[in-house]
Amino acid sequence: MSAGVTTQLELRGVTKRFGGVAAVDGVTFEVGKGEIVGIIGPNGAGKTTLLNCISGLHRLDGGDIRWQGASIAGMAPHRIAKLGIGRTFQIVRPFGSMTVRENAAVGALFGSAAGRRGPKEAFEMADQVLDLVGLKAKAGHPVSALTIPDRKRLEVARAVATRPHLLLLDEVMAGLNNVEIDEALEMVRAVHATGVTVLLIEHVMRVIIGVCRRAVVLDFGQVLAQGEPEVVLRDERVIQAYLGERYAKRLKS
Amino acid sequence: MFLILGAILAAYALLAPLTSLDAAQSANVPLLADRLWFRIATIIAMFIVMATAWNIIGGITGYAAFGNVAFFGIGAYTTGMLIAKAKWPFLVALPFAPLVSAGFAALVGLPLLRLRGHYFAVASLGVGVAVGELVQNIDYGGQPLFGGASGLFLPIYAIDNRGLFFFYLMVAAATIAIAVTWWVLRSRFGYGLIAIRENEEAAAVLGVNTTVYKVAAFALSAALTGLAGGIFSQWNVFINQDNTFPIDYNVQMILMALLGGTGTVFGPAVGAVLLQLLIQFLGGSLPISFDIPFVSADARPILAQVILGVLLVGVVIFVPRGVIDFFGGRSRLSLSYLRRSLRETSL
Repeated sequence: MSAGVTTQLELRGVTKRFGGVAAVDGVTFEVGKGEIVGIIGPNGAGKTTLLNCISGLHRLDGGDIRWQGASIAGMAPHRIAKLGIGRTFQIVRPFGSMTVRENAAVGALFGSAAGRRGPKEAFEMADQVLDLVGLKAKAGHPVSALTIPDRKRLEVARAVATRPHLLLLDEVMAGLNNVEIDEALEMVRAVHATGVTVLLIEHVMRVIIGVCRRAVVLDFGQVLAQGEPEVVLRDERVIQAYLGERYAKRLKS
Repeated sequence: MFLILGAILAAYALLAPLTSLDAAQSANVPLLADRLWFRIATIIAMFIVMATAWNIIGGITGYAAFGNVAFFGIGAYTTGMLIAKAKWPFLVALPFAPLVSAGFAALVGLPLLRLRGHYFAVASLGVGVAVGELVQNIDYGGQPLFGGASGLFLPIYAIDNRGLFFFYLMVAAATIAIAVTWWVLRSRFGYGLIAIRENEEAAAVLGVNTTVYKVAAFALSAALTGLAGGIFSQWNVFINQDNTFPIDYNVQMILMALLGGTGTVFGPAVGAVLLQLLIQFLGGSLPISFDIPFVSADARPILAQVILGVLLVGVVIFVPRGVIDFFGGRSRLSLSYLRRSLRETSL
């Protein structure tokens, strides 16, 4: 992290076990205010589990997570959301019986800045957020009428409507084509420009290099490397983790 | 708001002729003058309360409660005990029915609502059965505490036109239940409940306190159901396990909500009217009745059960969003509607 940036999120030896398997094993890193940090790693490296730990869906088996200096380990998900940590799900989870607008309004009604906000103000805010992610024209549509890329946008809209200080994005670009990825990148930049810190999981390297100043590589639940994306991606251990030992040797020779 | 006012006005216009038995008799309207009619109309209103109340936890929040009859019984016994044993006046004892039912729901809801899907349904059914058994079998100092197997007799409430009074009281309870649902569906609370129904984890990470919301919905549902039970106890004068904890009611209130349309304001009420009329007709207790070929009078209640079962299956498969949606403007009576419904409900 560059100097002069205040630490917002601090992970200290975060550990989560399922039975005997440590899905996340002593992960330590920090996220500074206003950063965009990428989490990469092969399938099963523990990326989503780590996000679940931060958003309170999983209880930690070890370590601590601190938000603006105070521990949030063991807090219920809704309390963490109210502190200003929003998230999306890799497999989209829209509220199917609601319209696009109502989905976003739920975020506005219950999020960090909820206070005593009523449905009317929440719907106004939902409209602003839908404009930001490019779903304004489809605000009145039922969710079932949305394409996959639009459903991913809705995931982001709902999370942004909670007015988060930190946004956790779980593979919002997976399954999108190149044009759609460019549009989604624009969306992430637009959200970041409103002053939101972003921590994103991504498999598409173009995204990591395109928006992240810093990347954290996970493998078997542990931090393998972290730093500037270009540097990290040239790291031999990272190539090995992704492509296997033999391919890494061939690259070297 | 206009919707509620309209509904109240419409109800009044319909019910105004009922306000005087003499008027009805002199106008020679046999149905309205019949005391049996009041009884049936009161029962229908009672089921409107129960189906509408079930809709709050089962339809809006998506937790299939199979034991809501426990709250009806608890409400009935709360009011019944306060009147029969503590000698309280009825209208003072009545508010305690929803309070005690809601309190009990909050207590059992905390552990129960951690279960999902089938597990919650089965566990709530267990509570429904267990409470009825407890009420009948708890002894204190060698005496059955709540009247035991012989039930509980209440003094008759002294008021002119008793049938009419309890009919109005039950209609008032039904109006309250519908108004509460109307409010819930427009409030922050309601959006939270629907979010829980659609995806509980997604609701939680958006900031919905799922535990508190689920328990509140359960308690609200119980309070309304308990209110109906409280009115029932004084109206019926005699309560026991059979008439305040009938397992049938569990199925009926769910079927009514499904038939009319779960998650809607008026759906459960519409379902309650349709289904209760059918039950009364099949049971042979409607003033208008005719012979059903091949079915003897004794077998009619059994036939009613069979038809209810067939109806339940049919509704779930073909009109999962209820008759309001089916006959409403958004859909047409067509094969494609049924096909779409089948697609939505099948795996």
